[in-house]
Amino acid sequence: MNTSPIETWEGAEAYFTFADKPAIMMLFLLLSVAITFGTIVIAALHEKHAYNNH
Amino acid sequence: MEQELAALTERLAALESASAMSGTINSEIFYWWCTALMIAIHAGFLAYEMGASRVKNVLASGIKNILAFAFMVPTFYFFGWYIYLSFYNGFLPAEDASGWPWEMSMGPNLADNATGIFWAAFTLFAATTASIFSGAVIERIQTAGFLILAILLGSVVWILGGAWGWHPTGWLTVKFGYHDVGAAGVVHMVAGFFALGVLLNLGPRVGKFNADGSANAILAHNIPFTITGLMLIIVGFFGFLGGCIIYMPGEQWINIYGQPTTLSAFAFNTLMGMAGGIIGAWVKTRDPFWMMSGALIGIFAAASGLDVYYPPVAFVLGTFGGFVVPMVAVWLEKMGIDDAVGAFPVHGIGGLIGVISCGIFAAGYPNVDGMPPVSLWGQIVGAATMAVLGFVPGYIASFILKVLGLLRVPDHIQEKGLDIVKVPVAAYPENFIPGPVNTATPAGASAAAAE
Repeated sequence: MNTSPIETWEGAEAYFTFADKPAIMMLFLLLSVAITFGTIVIAALHEKHAYNNH
Repeated sequence: MEQELAALTERLAALESASAMSGTINSEIFYWWCTALMIAIHAGFLAYEMGASRVKNVLASGIKNILAFAFMVPTFYFFGWYIYLSFYNGFLPAEDASGWPWEMSMGPNLADNATGIFWAAFTLFAATTASIFSGAVIERIQTAGFLILAILLGSVVWILGGAWGWHPTGWLTVKFGYHDVGAAGVVHMVAGFFALGVLLNLGPRVGKFNADGSANAILAHNIPFTITGLMLIIVGFFGFLGGCIIYMPGEQWINIYGQPTTLSAFAFNTLMGMAGGIIGAWVKTRDPFWMMSGALIGIFAAASGLDVYYPPVAFVLGTFGGFVVPMVAVWLEKMGIDDAVGAFPVHGIGGLIGVISCGIFAAGYPNVDGMPPVSLWGQIVGAATMAVLGFVPGYIASFILKVLGLLRVPDHIQEKGLDIVKVPVAAYPENFIPGPVNTATPAGASAAAAE
């Protein structure tokens, strides 16, 4: 899989992975958002479980 | 001759280009190290909170603080930076809104040496606000509820205040000449008042208050660790305050409002304010915890005008803050509010002193681009804005979390201790025999000393 948006460093600007593939950028962004906020939901469930067990 | 001139012109252009690039990279390096130093603030708060907790809660307090840092980074990337760059007019984004996470500047880019490093510095400012709040609520807040509140404070609320009053075209600056170079209002007041709003809904730790309303001292398990943590925060503040001014390659430094300044100005007044704060708190309390808190208070009390004060002014302001703020802590306790580390007095009131003092002692300093000069009225408007901006979201969000059962750890769990319930490891080895750490004693030593 070629993740590079550039073929040469000459004149390169934004060169991060998938910079030329907005759909994939958005996929990783949404995945990051899901991890961040999903973890809080998991934390809430874990805490409820822990409190109920004590 | 013409050939020599052409060669010289070419060399001059190359030198200018090299000089500009060198300036750009020096700027990057400067903010890189400011950001690194600011991590010391978080490390300090971590030590401070764990030291202030009882043995049964020490790791839970640490986990909460570490998570605040971790969650601040992605959320500030998702929307914090966008809020700063786009909401400087108020609650609606400006026409030139920017800072979305899918922009080409929000990742490695050879044409942009600035965005990443400024985003990083602001992310660490955000982490500082979350840490300020974190200490106030130790030993009885649920992790999930805490994280929601920390994200709200660090990646939404304070940065909205930053866009309004810590931005070259923020409405508080443009309309009122609000001056707060060291973020006494936009960071410390907002975080302190946010914490107060949450504390009203969260309630005190079990055993803090008696039925008649009198308070018990809940003793920190490791005061030396707490004091060391506070000193580490001071170290980090040199990164924080360095990050408050703008490196202009080839030109004089400017502050966040575009007024010329120097790092020397910040060095004079930060140290003088800090020293005054220590002395003021020592005179009032004789308590090393409050002396080091006084160091912070002294910096905040001088923070808004760090760029312009005559250093003895900063010293006097610091002394005043260090002397007065411990009394606010005593008053807060008498009001039945359990602020475990004094976050509201130290940051909320310390910041308030800083913002208002700037209107008294720095009034008349000119602004740039036709904006009003520094004035007491502008500072009062700014202070009121920061207090409301911090308190209201903190109160409303924590009230909703309380209704949803996501705010407070049940009392019987608090009595057992959070570590044994939620943390898979123990803080201290098996041969460590804790003393009577959970003994509730009448409000005595520290409160009496503060009075």
